[in-house]
Amino acid sequence: MAVKEIQSGQVGRSLPRLESAAKVTGHADYVHNLRLPGMLHVKVFRSSIPHGRIRRLDVSAAKQLAGVHSVITSDDIRTIIPEPYFGPAFHDQPILAIDKVRHIGEPVAVVLASDPHVAEEGVALIQAEYDELPGVYDEVAGATATTYVHDTLKPAGTFPDLKHLQGKSNTNIALDYQLRRGDVEAAFAKADHVFEHTFRTQQVMHVPLEPMVSAAELTATGLTIYTASQSPSFVRIEIARLLGWPENKVRVKVPHLGGGFGAKLYVKLEALVAALALLTRRPVKLSLRMDEQFFTISKHASTFKIKSGVTKDGKIVARRCDVWWNGGAYADIGPRVTQKSGFTAAGPYDIENVHLDSFAVYTTRPPAGALRGFGIPQLVWAYESHTDLIARALDIDPVEIRRKNILREGRPQATGTKMKDAAIEQVLERLAARMNWDRSFDRGAGTIRRGRGIGIGFKAVIAPTTSVAIVNVYADGSCSLYCSTVDMGQGSDTIMAQIVAEVLNLPAETVNVVHPDTDVTPYDMATLGSRSTFHMGNAVRIAAEDAKAKLAALAKEVGLPAGANVPISEIFKKKYGMQAGNVIGSGSFIPSYKSPDHETGMTDNATPFWMIGGTGAEVEIDTDTGDIKILRIVNVADCGTPINPRIVDTQLSGGAIMQLGFTLTEEMQFDNGQLRNPTLADYKIPGMRDMPTVMENEAVAARQHDGPFGAKGVGESATFGLSPAIANAIHDAVGVRLTELPLTPERLYRALAAANGKPLKD
Amino acid sequence: MTPFELAEPRSISEALALLDPNDPSIRAMGGGTALMLMMKPGFFKPKRLVSLRKIAELAAFRVGSDGALRIGAMTRLSALERSAEVAKAFPVIASTLRTLSNRRVRNVATIGGHIAHADPHTDLPPVLIALDATIEIAGPGGQRKIPAEALATGYLETTLKGNELITAVTVPAAGRKRAIYVKCTTRSADDWPALGIAVALDADGRNVKQARVVVSAATEKPVRLSGVEAILQGGAMTDASLREATRAAASEADITTDMQGSAAYKRHLLEVHLNRAINGLLNGGARRGA
Amino acid sequence: MSNTRQINFTLNGTPVSAEVGTHLSLVELLREKFDLFGARESCAQGLCGCCTVLLDGQAVSGCLYLAALADGAKIDTVEGLGTRDTLDPVQEAFIEAGAFQCGFCTPGFVLMTKQLLDENPNPSEDDIRHYLSGNLCRCGAYPEIIAAVKAASAKRKAAG
Repeated sequence: MAVKEIQSGQVGRSLPRLESAAKVTGHADYVHNLRLPGMLHVKVFRSSIPHGRIRRLDVSAAKQLAGVHSVITSDDIRTIIPEPYFGPAFHDQPILAIDKVRHIGEPVAVVLASDPHVAEEGVALIQAEYDELPGVYDEVAGATATTYVHDTLKPAGTFPDLKHLQGKSNTNIALDYQLRRGDVEAAFAKADHVFEHTFRTQQVMHVPLEPMVSAAELTATGLTIYTASQSPSFVRIEIARLLGWPENKVRVKVPHLGGGFGAKLYVKLEALVAALALLTRRPVKLSLRMDEQFFTISKHASTFKIKSGVTKDGKIVARRCDVWWNGGAYADIGPRVTQKSGFTAAGPYDIENVHLDSFAVYTTRPPAGALRGFGIPQLVWAYESHTDLIARALDIDPVEIRRKNILREGRPQATGTKMKDAAIEQVLERLAARMNWDRSFDRGAGTIRRGRGIGIGFKAVIAPTTSVAIVNVYADGSCSLYCSTVDMGQGSDTIMAQIVAEVLNLPAETVNVVHPDTDVTPYDMATLGSRSTFHMGNAVRIAAEDAKAKLAALAKEVGLPAGANVPISEIFKKKYGMQAGNVIGSGSFIPSYKSPDHETGMTDNATPFWMIGGTGAEVEIDTDTGDIKILRIVNVADCGTPINPRIVDTQLSGGAIMQLGFTLTEEMQFDNGQLRNPTLADYKIPGMRDMPTVMENEAVAARQHDGPFGAKGVGESATFGLSPAIANAIHDAVGVRLTELPLTPERLYRALAAANGKPLKD
Repeated sequence: MTPFELAEPRSISEALALLDPNDPSIRAMGGGTALMLMMKPGFFKPKRLVSLRKIAELAAFRVGSDGALRIGAMTRLSALERSAEVAKAFPVIASTLRTLSNRRVRNVATIGGHIAHADPHTDLPPVLIALDATIEIAGPGGQRKIPAEALATGYLETTLKGNELITAVTVPAAGRKRAIYVKCTTRSADDWPALGIAVALDADGRNVKQARVVVSAATEKPVRLSGVEAILQGGAMTDASLREATRAAASEADITTDMQGSAAYKRHLLEVHLNRAINGLLNGGARRGA
Repeated sequence: MSNTRQINFTLNGTPVSAEVGTHLSLVELLREKFDLFGARESCAQGLCGCCTVLLDGQAVSGCLYLAALADGAKIDTVEGLGTRDTLDPVQEAFIEAGAFQCGFCTPGFVLMTKQLLDENPNPSEDDIRHYLSGNLCRCGAYPEIIAAVKAASAKRKAAG
C-alpha cells in the first residue's frame, strides 16, 4: 500500500472501519432489511414505451385481486399533493406519471399489499394504452429536435441562475452553461496547428448492490422516512415542501447504505412512499429490484466536440469545448453536472483562450443524474484522448506535452480562479515515475501487442454548501458525533470519528457516530462529490474544538487549575455532583464561493479545493480478436493529507475498478427507446477476473491548507483519468484510436481491420 | 412468483406420472436455477413443478473400467467438477465446468436440467456433442437413446415430450481423442459466451482420423459443422487445409447478432479461435477451458 | 397437492420448522421468518453472491432456491459463522485486510471464502479469482478480498 501512514495521533491512522465487525457478521443495518409492523409492500407498474400520452389506465383488475390493499395513480397522489413535481434543479418529475410518459420504465401506478408477491401479481393485472410520440434519444440531435420532452421548463428555486428558464417552451435544453475567456477564434487563426475531435460516452448505471429502497410511516407527530439516501437533509426539506409541512414534522433516518455512488441522492423513491403513507395511513416500503434501478437514475451519456489551437512546440493557446449531456427525461441534478463540470472542461491546462458551451439536454431515456465523478470522467475522456492525439501528431512525448501545459500553483484556470493546493505537477511526475516512462517499453512484434498511456484530470469540488456537526460529550468522558454525512462504504463514519478523536485526544474507536436522523443530526447538504471529508470534516473539527473549549471553560468554572490533566468525568462530577450532564459543541462550515458570471462563466473563487487524479495504464492487445487485457493500472491522486491512509487507498482502487467497468464492459443498450439489458446477466460490471494483473495506488504527499488536518476529498479522483489512459495505451499498442466508450474487443477489432484496409464485412 | 404445486417423487415412474405432455405449465425440475430465472420475472408461471431430487438412482455418476462416463441426470455439476476420475478421463469436461456460470450455480444445477434447458449459451452441450455423448430418456413408452446433438431442436426447445425425462448422459471412452472447449466472452470474464467452440480430434500426428467441431452460443442451438469436419478429416492437416477449414466454419454456421456481438465479428472470432484450438490440439493438446 | 409446505431443517445448528408457500425462496424464508439479514437479494439472478447461504455444506444462491426444498437440509448462514465477540478467522482476515466498503456483498464473500478454504486450504491467486468469480463487489474491494483470502488461509494453517 503506497498511501503513507503516520504513527501518532488519530488522524493519519489506518484504523479499521468502525463498523467492521458488523459488516463481516452480516449485522450491519440497511433499509433493505427494514420491517415495520403493518407494513405494506409497494410494487410499481411502469411504462412500456419511451414517449407517449396515457390514453387509458385500467387498474380495476388489480384492485380486485385478493390481498391487494390499494392501487394508486397520480390522480390519487394529487388529492394530497396538488403539484406533485420534484427535483433538485427543476420541479419537473411527477411522483407518478401525469398524462404522459417520458421514458421506458417510468412509474405510472403502484400496487400495495402486505405480501409483496401479491403486489407483484397486481402490477401484472394493470393495463395501459398509450398514444405513442416520437422518441428523442441522442443528446446532440435532442438539442435541436422539434419533439419536446417537456412542454415548459420548470426550474426550482434552488438555482438562482435558472430563473431565466422559467416557463420556457419549445426546447429540450434544460441548461446552457457558457465560459468565455479571451478570443479563441483569433487564437485559432494564429496557431500553428488546429486539432478537432469528437468523443462520446455511453449511458451507464451505478448498480449499488443494495437496490434503492425507501419506507415511510405516519407517526404521532408527523412522518418518518427510512431511506437509503445520501442526502437526508435534502429529503426532509423536499418532502416538507411537497406536503406543505414545516421541516420539523418530517423525519428522515438513514443507516448504512449498500453502496450509493450518486444513485441514492435527492429524491428518488421518498416522495412516492411519503404520499403512499399518507394515502393509506399504513407504513409502506418500496424496495426496487435490480432491474428497476436502470429505469430510475443513471449516468449522462455525452458528446464532446473539442478543438485546440497549438503552437508547433505543443503549447495549447486556445481551446473550444462543446459538450452535450444526455439528461434523459427528467433533469434530476443534470443541470448542475452541466454547469459545474464546465468549470474544468478545458482540462488541467494553462490555456489563455477558452470557449465553452455545455448543454443539459432532455431526451426520452431514463433520467441521468449524479454518478461518481459528476461529469468529470466524461470530460477527461475527451480532453485526455485529445491531448494524446495532439502529442502524437506533433511527435511530442505524452508526458512532455502535459508538462508544457499543465496548470501550476498560482496560475488562473479557465474560470479565472487561481490554482491553490493543487498538486497537478506532482501527480503527473509521480505517474511518470511509477510508469517508468523514461525507460523503453516493449510493444511486442507479433499478434500480441502492448502499449501504455496516461490521463490526468481534475475537478472543482462543489460549492457553496453547508455542513453542520454536533459533538456531545457525556459525563464519563465518552462522546458522540452527530452528523448527517452518510457512510455508504467510503468510510465517512470512521474518518469523522478520527477527526473528533484527534481534537479530544481519544482513541477514534471510542467515538460513537450517530447515523443520520434529521430529528437528531444537523443539516448537511449531502454526501456527494467527494465533499464530506473537507466540508463536513471541517464542521466536525470545529464542533469538536467547540466541545473542547467548553470543557476547558467548565473546568475553569468549577475551579480546576488550567492545563491540569483532569479526567473529563471529574469536571462533570464537580459541576453536577454526580455522573450527569452533557457538554455540547457545534460547528458549521460553508466555504467561500463566488458564482460565475452568467455571460462569461468567469469567477475568481470557483471552488474551495481541487481534486486531481491521474491514471497510467499498460495494456495487451490480441490483434486477431481485439481482446484487451489490462496489465497494469497506476492510480495517483492529490487528496491532501489522508486522514485514514488505508481508506484512501481503497477509494482509489475502488474508484478505478468502477471506472474500468464504465470503460470496457458497461453500457445501457437501447433499441428504439426500449432498454435491452437492465439486469446483471447482460449489464456486466467488473468481477474478480476482470481485475488488472497489477494495480497500484498513490496519494501524493500534499496538503490542503484549509482542509481538516490538511485533508480533502478522494472518492472520485481515481475515476478521472482511467478511460483515456486505456484508450491512449491501446493507440500506443496498435495505432488505432477509439473515440467512444465502452472500448470493446469488437470495436477495437473493427478499427484494426479498417486500418489494415480489410474492414469487417457485415 | 405465485404458489404452485410442488411434487417430489421418489421414482422415475412416479415422476413420469406427474408430468403432462399437453400442459407446458407442468415441468420437471433438476436444480431449478434455470427455472427460477424464468419464474422470478414472470416468464414462466408453473402449475406444477416435479422436483427429481429424491430419485436416488438419478444422482450417481461413474467412470467405468472401459473409460466410459455415465452421468445420472441429477448429478450436480460441482460433483462432476470435483471428481478426480472425471478430470483424468475427460479433462475437457473438468476445464469446461471451471468457468460454467459460478460455483453456487454449479452446486445446485444438474446435468439433466442443464442440457434439457436447451439454452444455446450453455457450456456443456457443445462439449458433450463433440465427445459423441448419448442422452438416455425415459417416457411412458419406455426408454430411448439419442445422440447429444439431437436433443436441442431450437432456442429453449428440445425433442423431449412434456412427459419424458432425461435419465442419464453417457460419454464413450476418450481413447486417443483430445478435446477443447473455447468460451469466448466479449464483455466481462464472467459472462455468457458470445461464441462457444468445442473441438474433439482423434489424430495421429497431423492426420485427423475423426473430427468433431461444434459451435454454440452464437447459434440457435449447438451445431456440428460437418463440412468443417470433412475438411479436417481429409488427409494430413496443413496450414492451408486448416485455413480452408476455419474459413468454411465461418460460413457454415448460422450465426446471429446479439448484445454480445455482431454476426460478422462472431464469424471472425470463430475463424480465429477454431484455428487456434485445432493447432493447439494437434501440437500437444493445450486444454484451455476459457 | 397443496401449495404450502411444512418444512423441517437445521438452521445454524438448531432444528427449526416453518410453513412456507411453495413460491417462497430460501433467502426470503431466512429474512422474513428467521430475521437473518446477512443474506440479501440483490441481482435476483444468482450472479452477485449477496444471497449466499450454505445448504448441506454447499454454497448456494438463496434467491434461486425454493425454501420448500430446504426441507431436511442443514442450512448455515453467516450469522452461524461467528459473532461480534468471537469472529471466525475468515472474518478476522477480512477486517484486517479492509476487505469491504459498503459491506452488502461481504457475508457472501465470507461464506464463499470459508468454503474455498475448506476445500482448498492453500489456493493460488488464480484459484481464488475463479472460485470467487461469481461474487460481485461494486465498491471494488477485490484486491483487498484476495489479500483477505490469503491471510485467512495462513490464519487457519497457523491455528492447526
